Amino acid sequence: MAEHVILFTGPMGAGKTTAIQSLSEIDVVRTEANNSERHIVDKATTTVALDYGEILVGSEEKVRLYGIPGQKRFNFMWTILKKRAKGMILLVNADAPDPLAELTFFLDEFRVLYDRGGVVIGVTRADVMAGPTLAEIYEALERTNPGLVIPVFTVDPRERDQMQNLLLTLVVNIEMRAAFGMPSVAGSR
Amino acid sequence: MTMDVQRVTAEPPPPTVDFPVTVGWTQAAMAVQAVLSLGTPVHLRMDIEGHGPLLIDFRHHAFSWSTPLEDFPVDAVHTGLQTVPTSADAPPYFELPGQDLDGLLWQMGINAFGGGPAFWLSPGERYRLTRWPNLTRHSHDLRHVRMIAVLGNAYASTTELAAFADVEVSEAQRLINALSLMRILSRSAAAPAATMAPQAVEAKRDSLFARLRKRLGR
Repeated sequence: MAEHVILFTGPMGAGKTTAIQSLSEIDVVRTEANNSERHIVDKATTTVALDYGEILVGSEEKVRLYGIPGQKRFNFMWTILKKRAKGMILLVNADAPDPLAELTFFLDEFRVLYDRGGVVIGVTRADVMAGPTLAEIYEALERTNPGLVIPVFTVDPRERDQMQNLLLTLVVNIEMRAAFGMPSVAGSR
Repeated sequence: MTMDVQRVTAEPPPPTVDFPVTVGWTQAAMAVQAVLSLGTPVHLRMDIEGHGPLLIDFRHHAFSWSTPLEDFPVDAVHTGLQTVPTSADAPPYFELPGQDLDGLLWQMGINAFGGGPAFWLSPGERYRLTRWPNLTRHSHDLRHVRMIAVLGNAYASTTELAAFADVEVSEAQRLINALSLMRILSRSAAAPAATMAPQAVEAKRDSLFARLRKRLGR
């Protein structure tokens, strides 16, 4: 069976679990535990291991959706998953203490996907707090990876339509890069 | 007892420039492009029959209009189109935050020029994206997404874009017009033509994007 792994990354409270729930056709496997970092995000529980959902494309093809822990102490898991990933949806909440720093941190951690254009950024909770403008985000991206234009949208992870758009944009952007002979990501088998 | 009296001299009202009445969005798009190219602080006011005044404050990249963009009147009758000079430190044209101007420019660009090239574009140019439009805020379909993905990864002329993305030339032109009006395209007459790998051309209709799109009913 052909499989395509899509990662959902980002800081705690960005909406990764909700995003996967919006997209998945199966009941999402959720693993949560007590939040020991309530000084950063006021949630009683947060993702500490994998969230998992999937979309069956055909009888022989599946898109696997992995939400991975946002806390930096779990980055040993990131190393494993990024090797298998076709692409990554990076969610950053506009009301995070420093959204641009979070953004660049995760892009650095997942540089192998970022450099190959396998990333889409979703800015969440922009309706709650203005946060950085999209222009400021693109300026930050230009500093970290000049000339690479990756999609950045404001999104509500609860909205299935918006999350489907994000996923389809990621996929078409990866395929388009490959079509033009640019380095693209593997991650499908 | 004496009083200091500060004399206030009333300034004459700023000059305004009126545009002729028009139907559709071409004149409006041209006015926007003209103001943006000017680089000096100028507001724009459009009076649209049945839809009230549309006010644009370019300094704040915002507009104010009682008509929601979901009900965008494609064949709007403009009864007035007026530039209003202002200054960098003048109060906003309307109560902020207003709405993000990009949403209006997207609609305006898509619907102006009847599928022909915007007047400020030149033949022989190729285009490339400098940033993605915030598509969750704009009315769009997945053909737009595919075209934008082309422009995000390669320079393409309008006809090349249409071929790469499997759409009509007029549809590609409307997108180019919109992205150009939003100022998120770079233009080059010298950029070489991009080539798509032959196997990619073959695989276009059976790509994961196409299969996923079908599966999701989009």
